[in-house]
Amino acid sequence: MDFKDIKILLCDDSMFARKKLGMFLSSLGVVNISEASDGEDAVNKYKEVAPDLVFMDIVMPKLTGIEALKAIKEYDSKAKVVMASSVGTQSHLKQAIVLGAYDFVQKPIDDAQVEKIIRNAMK
Amino acid sequence: MFAQFFGAFLLNNKLVSPDTLAQAIDDKKNTRMRLGVLAINAGLMTADQVEHVNVAQQSVDKRFGDLCVDLGYLTNADVERLLSEQPTDYLLLGQTLVNNGSLTNAEFENAISAYKTQYQLSDDDISNNQNDKLSAIVKDFFHFNTAENARIYTDYVTLLFKSFIRFIGDDFTPIESTVINEIEAQYIVCQKIHGKYTAELAIACPKEEYIAFAERFAKETFTEVDEYVNEVVGEFLNVNNGLFVVNESNQSGIELSLDPQDYIHNGKVKFDKQAFCIPVAFAFGEIEFIISVT
Repeated sequence: MDFKDIKILLCDDSMFARKKLGMFLSSLGVVNISEASDGEDAVNKYKEVAPDLVFMDIVMPKLTGIEALKAIKEYDSKAKVVMASSVGTQSHLKQAIVLGAYDFVQKPIDDAQVEKIIRNAMK
Repeated sequence: MFAQFFGAFLLNNKLVSPDTLAQAIDDKKNTRMRLGVLAINAGLMTADQVEHVNVAQQSVDKRFGDLCVDLGYLTNADVERLLSEQPTDYLLLGQTLVNNGSLTNAEFENAISAYKTQYQLSDDDISNNQNDKLSAIVKDFFHFNTAENARIYTDYVTLLFKSFIRFIGDDFTPIESTVINEIEAQYIVCQKIHGKYTAELAIACPKEEYIAFAERFAKETFTEVDEYVNEVVGEFLNVNNGLFVVNESNQSGIELSLDPQDYIHNGKVKFDKQAFCIPVAFAFGEIEFIISVT
């Protein structure tokens, strides 16, 4: 799989955070980028676009990122959801691992780490 | 961060005016350290000795360092060591103020000695950015020892200033805090941390400063405040609070959560208990940071 073939869903209630990560993904050559602005929207968009990889914030309205991860994994057990949050506490990490999160990135997001995660996910 | 608090020290002791300090903070990036200030800082020469060499240099065609050695003030090894050390930011600030005539060498000598004595700082502490010393300065400067949750206030504000340096810029001076029960401003962004304790955090400022702060964090240009600009400032608060929550989890085993941010335009925020209002003077203007822990 090539960067131009991968479908990525960005879930963050911050337009700024989505734009920043989206710009980096575009610079890698990713063209299929969808966005969701809350947890509920994230679950709906996942069902709609069937992305290869999801970047999910934790602190979001309607459903938190953890709740959205749970709903997505219930819908598709093979979903690759990367938690991308400012609150990478031990309890959040444990919750995310138990629910089957693919990886975790702490905000402010390190571009190199994101690129590595995408490359691994594409293998 | 020692440079920012050295600036605040100079300001509070009325050794420089706010305008002079702001200009020096802006100019220090182009400043080259001189041996005299380095020697004074290291305690190897007095201001009088530096002045003596300066005067002597007018009648002799010799470098400052060579004259210091000739006059017995420094050894060749001292000169070599002083010139090879990476100048710290507070020294660059001091050199800039000496260069533009705002401070004499003697005033610099007294100020740096008093600053180090007040906060019990050694050159090694400053060079290594010792975290416990930074925290001690923050605690003392903002009088957090008077608060019930002194440790939390200190750790949070120390991290906040590091985040300012990391994401916004190092061209700021902390100003003494006041205790408040409510804040009123043109623009306010708030976020709550809750769990074992509750912390209410807010950034408050007028429009121009709000836009400038957002521009620094986003590395974009804005002309008006819209939803996007609000979210940029909100994201700064969220990232800093997230880092704090992670530190609390990793270092103290305290699990905390964050609420989504609230945005207030031309309004007030009341705090359940007393809050510390911490003004921070950036080159673009002043913002206020408010923290209340219950």
